[in-house]
Amino acid sequence: MMAKRKLMKNRVPTPEKPVYERIKGFEEVNLGYDFELALMEAERCLQCPENYAPCIKGCPVNINIPGFLAKLKEHRDNPYLAVKEALRVIWACNSLPAITGRVCPQEDQCEGVCVMGKVGDPINIGKLERFVADYARQHEIDDELLMEIVPKIEKKEQKVAVVGAGPAGLTCAAELAKMGYNVTVFEALHYPGGVLLYGIPEFRLPKEIVKNELKKLELLGVEIKTDHIVGRTITIPELIEEYDAVFISTGAGTPKLPEVPGINLNGIYSANEFLTRVNLMKAYKFPEYDTPIKLGKKTIVIGAGNTAMDAARTALRLGSEVIIAYRRGEEDMTARIEEIEHAKEEGVKFMFFVNPIEFIGDENGNVKAVKFMKMKVLNERDSNGKRKIIPTGETITVEADTVIIAIGQIPNKIIWKTTPGLEVGKNGTIVVDENLMTSIPGVFAGGDAIRGEATVILAMGDGRKAAKAIHEYLTKREKNA
Amino acid sequence: MYKILERKEIAMRNVWFKVYAPHVVKKLQPGQFVIVRAFENGERIPLTPVMWDKEEGWMGLVVFTRGKTTMQINTELKEGDYFLNIAGPLGNPAPMKKYGKILAIGLYTGIVEVFPIAKAWQEIGNEVHTLQVTFEPMIILKDELEKAVSKHTAVGVPIDPEKSFPENMKNVTAKAREVVRDMIKEINPDLVFMVGPVGDQKAIFEVVREFNVPMLVDLHPIMVDGTGMCGACRVTVGGKVRFACVDGPTFNAYEVDFDELIKRSSYYRDLEMRAMQEYMQKLQGGAQ
Repeated sequence: MMAKRKLMKNRVPTPEKPVYERIKGFEEVNLGYDFELALMEAERCLQCPENYAPCIKGCPVNINIPGFLAKLKEHRDNPYLAVKEALRVIWACNSLPAITGRVCPQEDQCEGVCVMGKVGDPINIGKLERFVADYARQHEIDDELLMEIVPKIEKKEQKVAVVGAGPAGLTCAAELAKMGYNVTVFEALHYPGGVLLYGIPEFRLPKEIVKNELKKLELLGVEIKTDHIVGRTITIPELIEEYDAVFISTGAGTPKLPEVPGINLNGIYSANEFLTRVNLMKAYKFPEYDTPIKLGKKTIVIGAGNTAMDAARTALRLGSEVIIAYRRGEEDMTARIEEIEHAKEEGVKFMFFVNPIEFIGDENGNVKAVKFMKMKVLNERDSNGKRKIIPTGETITVEADTVIIAIGQIPNKIIWKTTPGLEVGKNGTIVVDENLMTSIPGVFAGGDAIRGEATVILAMGDGRKAAKAIHEYLTKREKNA
Repeated sequence: MYKILERKEIAMRNVWFKVYAPHVVKKLQPGQFVIVRAFENGERIPLTPVMWDKEEGWMGLVVFTRGKTTMQINTELKEGDYFLNIAGPLGNPAPMKKYGKILAIGLYTGIVEVFPIAKAWQEIGNEVHTLQVTFEPMIILKDELEKAVSKHTAVGVPIDPEKSFPENMKNVTAKAREVVRDMIKEINPDLVFMVGPVGDQKAIFEVVREFNVPMLVDLHPIMVDGTGMCGACRVTVGGKVRFACVDGPTFNAYEVDFDELIKRSSYYRDLEMRAMQEYMQKLQGGAQ
């Protein structure tokens, strides 16, 4: 009989950098668990059986969560082994846990369905996943585990091209390399990483972590070609000639902009431009770095997703007052709860039920205010399940010398404009079948390029699924040949 | 890493780099540009290759010293050195049609971008007249253009050392307007094409419009990624928001909102000046 133990209803908290300290810099906000705290939190897990555990089903890549927590507990006297075995369990489904542990919306996934959530706080799965990955990285356990895998890889003849080095592409490349394929990743920018690099700020995802993941790809023998804009430098039809299969993971990189007067005034940035200048080009270190950023005293961020929170908290750190303006209500915001809470703690203000209808400029063409239409909420729901909103007719004008637009992105048109026969749906998303194959045989696609705009974990899930589908496709083709 | 096979100062503030970048050159067409990042802490800047050899895999870039980055490139990069990144080709190729008689104008180093397009237009059967207006010591590509097109004119405006640089630039604009007016009367072109600073593009467009001649301009607003991702380069053309990097760079001059673009192009001027001054101080400090 199992020993009776007391149920711990509350989470073991993770230490965070104090607000006054963090808003001065770009260091990571959440400091994560150490082994002892992680173990205490893992102890709270009820260890639901694998075939039942709701968290596994709630995870887009079905990580065996009770399984990796059990490993931590099983080897509690040997942290090194505990982490190594836990990492092995995670890696079976997810090769980038340091990243997903930080950026996944766990409250809508694994943690949202955790049984413990019914009686207290759900298990802090995200932070535990992150702990395993961080501890492994700091103690080079991940390299060791990888070196166990690498010699066992049976090299294959076939070559696969991956287009875009973001979360979907990197995952797909890693999985294919583990299966023995020769993988080349083509990246348009000067560094690989995609949105992990240009989009998500340092204080949420330190770039050192992304670099560590890229180092692993190198160990797996993946070749990454930067400065290659597929569609321009080389086209998909040309890749098909040279490679046995192609995976398109070009994301959703084109910013949506509201079609209202004054959108081209100076001081109005797309979130992409703002974040790229700061994250990728390090404009916050100008003039040590050459790319500048201009930020006023009052910034309005339009939108309420993760990108909006990232932009708002970045602007705040650069010394601006920040208001997030959203056309819907507080409960409709799409960002992760943790990001919203951090933004609030750090002093970001919020305006709800306002929609921009005009940007007002001064004589030099610089933005000085935003005119909003006040919205009101109806009881009906729209096709996305969100409460419908309509204009009230009443307007409000708010001063701002910087405006950041974060209302979403659509896929870049370069790919489909240069790929005859590639079927494209609404908003330029690539159409795929259930195996993620596009209308062109041997060409697969995943991530935001097929979804429009989703999360890092869904993109990674696609990358993994596509790798499997590509493997099946090539194996079948080999047999028929 | 892209090796510099040759470096040569071809005129005041104009440096020619022959760079090995076969992946870009393979696809390059007249009118397209590349994004260059030269240094580890450097910015991404758009440059238009002036000529290239697909077989040998090199392209020629003429870098004009106009800010910190271009000054650093022209000062520090030597033959045998490398550009860190060259991505491209970007933008749409120039429209290759038979227009008839074309007047293609490049102000200052704008002639670099005119060169491959003018040459290609001539080759497909147009009668191309090219014009460079710049300061006297900055005339470039004269011999090359004389060989490549029906007629090339280079006009050098003397630099008045008593006057400030912006004052001197006004003389170039005035001279260019005068010469363009005369040439339109003389040639009676079917198309005018122009590359140069956006303020000058507007000034020349005003002259061309008097004659009601169709006019194309290549626009080069501030860019960050150059691939359609950031929207820094947005311009209003025909009342619509367009991205110069993916929708351009060539647009119908009659539809471009030049005033807006002039303002957008000057937004970072103070920071650009600051970066350049700090770099110049560093250079002077290093020389002591």
